[in-house]
Amino acid sequence: MQCSKCGNPKVIYKREQSGQLLCKDCFIDSIEKKVIRTVRKEKLLDKGDKVLVALSGGKDSVTTLEILNSFREMNIIDICAVTVDEGIANYRQEGVDIARRHAKRLGIEHKVVSLKEDYGITLDEIMQTPNHRGSCTYCGVFRRTIINKAAREMGATKIATGHNLDDEVQAIMMNYLEGNTDNLGKLGAKTESKAEEFTVKIKPLREIPEREIGLYVVAKELEVHFDSCPYAMQSFRGEVSELINQLAEKHPTIKYSTLRGYDKIKNVLKNEMQKEYAHGRCRRCGEPSANELCKACSFLEELGV
Amino acid sequence: MSFKLIYKKQNEERELPNENYTIRDLLNDLELSPQTIVSKQNGELVIEDTVIQEDDEIQLVQIIYGG
Repeated sequence: MQCSKCGNPKVIYKREQSGQLLCKDCFIDSIEKKVIRTVRKEKLLDKGDKVLVALSGGKDSVTTLEILNSFREMNIIDICAVTVDEGIANYRQEGVDIARRHAKRLGIEHKVVSLKEDYGITLDEIMQTPNHRGSCTYCGVFRRTIINKAAREMGATKIATGHNLDDEVQAIMMNYLEGNTDNLGKLGAKTESKAEEFTVKIKPLREIPEREIGLYVVAKELEVHFDSCPYAMQSFRGEVSELINQLAEKHPTIKYSTLRGYDKIKNVLKNEMQKEYAHGRCRRCGEPSANELCKACSFLEELGV
Repeated sequence: MSFKLIYKKQNEERELPNENYTIRDLLNDLELSPQTIVSKQNGELVIEDTVIQEDDEIQLVQIIYGG
């Protein structure tokens, strides 16, 4: 057995979809080249961009930072990072510390924003209140608002997230199965909003399977926070993910074909199905909002904060 | 005939059941999905088809968590 590219007998990975065998160096190189190809193909970066990386300290965001940093080293872009501390005891602190160390190692501007400081309440406290919603609902909405605000404050022109192939395929299938054609049209490598206050979001790892990102950080010996969020529960996303992974065992190319199929119909979906939203301001915080209150503030009012 | 297994906080000596016992067999015995784990044999990354040798140190790193 030897590496399909260089002949090295120390193989660390077999790509099920192609049968390709790769040694450590060729594997690392293949991931980095593929991300760079996605960046070029989807025109994710423009010269002079300041990219804010949403850096949790987990494998996906650390990989995003690591590979985008190669564009920074070539003086094509500048990078900054923000880490959201949701206030989850015995979980989040390690990720925050790891994020800080990566920012320091690379010498990039980094900010840690906590839910407690911004909204006066932690996720742990929210989950103690009666009649609360699902933890991921709060976390997703507050995190998105905080990252958007940070992007404006830090002068970022793009926000890069660590969404990988598995995340993207799950989102495509979940929205399709739920008949949510509005959200289905919003997926993709680059999402732009008509509201100027929303910074363009990019997903450089969109074509990399989750497992390959895990192997990449171990192979590159990058420090990451491998742990499960204590609020992770049996969600619809979890069920869809399990189904897709089961199918992928017999049909190893299925995640790529789902993504490719989506990309072919995306423009039609966007043009035909997407609703027009009113562009107003939230009366409480002033952030852009389609309704009187933005989602984050409507949750805060519900919680009595 | 035994080998050392390191997984999470576990560090244990395990018997080698046969001569052709692979990391994939070990993952099956531990009911772990190869999709969520990367494996090291004596500190070096290897694929799951690797046969475990006597006195090997096998480290399993969980890279994918639910949620």
